[in-house]
Amino acid sequence: MTTTSRALAPGQVRTAEGVLGEWGALLAVARKEWLYVRRYPSWVISLLIWPVIFPLAYILSARALSGPDQSGLALFIARTGISDYLGFIAIGTTVWMWQNVVLWGVGFALRNEQWRGTLETNWMAPTWRFTFLLGPSLVHLAQMLIFMLVSAIEFGVFFGVRFNGNPLLVILLIAVSAPSVYGLGIAFASVVVWLKEAHNFVQMVRGLVMIFCGISFPIALLPGWMQEVAVFLPQTYMMRAIRSAALANATLSDLMPDIIALLGFGAFFLAAGYILFQWTERRARRAGAIGQY
Amino acid sequence: MAVKTFPLPVITWRTHLNALLMVAKKDWQHFWRYPLNAFSSLLHPLIWLTPVYFMGQAFSVDGKAHGFAAYSGTTDYISFVLVGMVLNNYVNTVFWNIGFAMKWDMDSGVLESNWLTPAARPILLIGRTLTSLLVTTLLSAALLLVAGLLFGFRPTGDVLAAALAMLPLLIGLYGFGIAFAALVLLMRDANSVVDMTSYLVSVFSGQQFPAQSLPRWLMPVSLILPLTYGYDAVRGLLLNTRTLLPIPVEVGMMTIFMGLMIWLGLRVFNQIERKVRQRGTLGQH
Repeated sequence: MTTTSRALAPGQVRTAEGVLGEWGALLAVARKEWLYVRRYPSWVISLLIWPVIFPLAYILSARALSGPDQSGLALFIARTGISDYLGFIAIGTTVWMWQNVVLWGVGFALRNEQWRGTLETNWMAPTWRFTFLLGPSLVHLAQMLIFMLVSAIEFGVFFGVRFNGNPLLVILLIAVSAPSVYGLGIAFASVVVWLKEAHNFVQMVRGLVMIFCGISFPIALLPGWMQEVAVFLPQTYMMRAIRSAALANATLSDLMPDIIALLGFGAFFLAAGYILFQWTERRARRAGAIGQY
Repeated sequence: MAVKTFPLPVITWRTHLNALLMVAKKDWQHFWRYPLNAFSSLLHPLIWLTPVYFMGQAFSVDGKAHGFAAYSGTTDYISFVLVGMVLNNYVNTVFWNIGFAMKWDMDSGVLESNWLTPAARPILLIGRTLTSLLVTTLLSAALLLVAGLLFGFRPTGDVLAAALAMLPLLIGLYGFGIAFAALVLLMRDANSVVDMTSYLVSVFSGQQFPAQSLPRWLMPVSLILPLTYGYDAVRGLLLNTRTLLPIPVEVGMMTIFMGLMIWLGLRVFNQIERKVRQRGTLGQH
């Protein structure tokens, strides 16, 4: 049996009614995802605890490296020009956690449907199939915004981090970063459908962020070839721009080069995600492998 | 008609040993069935180590962390962290893997049938760690070699004494691992809690920094964990670091911990396992 595609035929235009229908489908998928989230409320515990405990290892290590007389910290400040190493680490680890959670969450959205045995039946619904990835991404984005807010409050309460920059600029930077983060997640989700087992690839991608983007150190400390790799990763720009906006009072014009780079990365990853999704869909339908797990 | 009789199997130490080796052999085959996992197991610690290394460099002069030395007694930060990482691999293998292995058996639907064999249950549990311990040893040796080449690893103390000091710590952890396995039998899932607890235990027992450097209000958390003294003693012997207590005292504490945990672990396991069998929930997941 073949499933019917909702791709528009050449010359065919989506009607207003059709667009409204797609919007309804998107909301329905997002609502279904939200029901899953509510069904397993243990994520609330993770939401409250991980923002504190993940940076803790780096923060306490930095404290140990500073020494009781702060001589190590003086070296760090002289080398990096950054006095607030707590805020520096807190922002770096939060960006890393954001990408990590998106890879596991959005990246496995279709794969989870395969496990549950519902992907094939959903696929037959007369709607745009990309909706099945956009819906979970919306819910996920809402969860991550709460996560970031909780993180910012907890960093202040537990570690004494003071974000003295412009909060509107930080929100803008999160908004321009989101397409890159979720574009990568969507591309990943498409690949996972035919790779099936992708845990090692998640480790690899998040490992790249951890090694090259400077979650706990300035990338100026990396050897030249590693700095060249870092230039091609959007998380490098996210960490630098958010740190500058939140900790160093950078202005919009200071941040413009990073914002433009992030928008470029966002467009690239979203396009790559969509193309990969379409390719995966065609490949899976031809091979009849969409329901296999 | 002649009645054919079959003797009941006689359970001896030899049969126990056979069961132990068979469980280990099965795990060994399973591990190598997915060779990418083996590669990933080596790569993963290197990935975690890299930002720690560069962060250490930011606080150091010519690779020597003098601020760190004021707490730990060594300027060699990366060797300190590497030893912590290798020890943590062993701790995870024994501490948590017994329970996780049982969860995998539950999910695969083989736990109940394994339980029906005439092998002692603790043997089945310990058998699940033999392959992990061997793999951990191989991977740790590879990690020390690769990380040593990339970042530098310079043990200045007695390697054999450090390895011997690890033994009571590891054996004691078996007791905890067996008790944890019993909890998994009862709860049938504990993933998110375990994830957070194992991370916190590794942070506070001093995997990446000495307990002496913790803020005063957090130090008691580290000092009540027996693992802290195990890590401390091994580093003291291997890297000549400044220890919290004299090394013989720390090793003595580990030996007492070993006896206590084995007794407690087996007792908890026996009680919970009986309860689970009475409730008939062994096959559920």
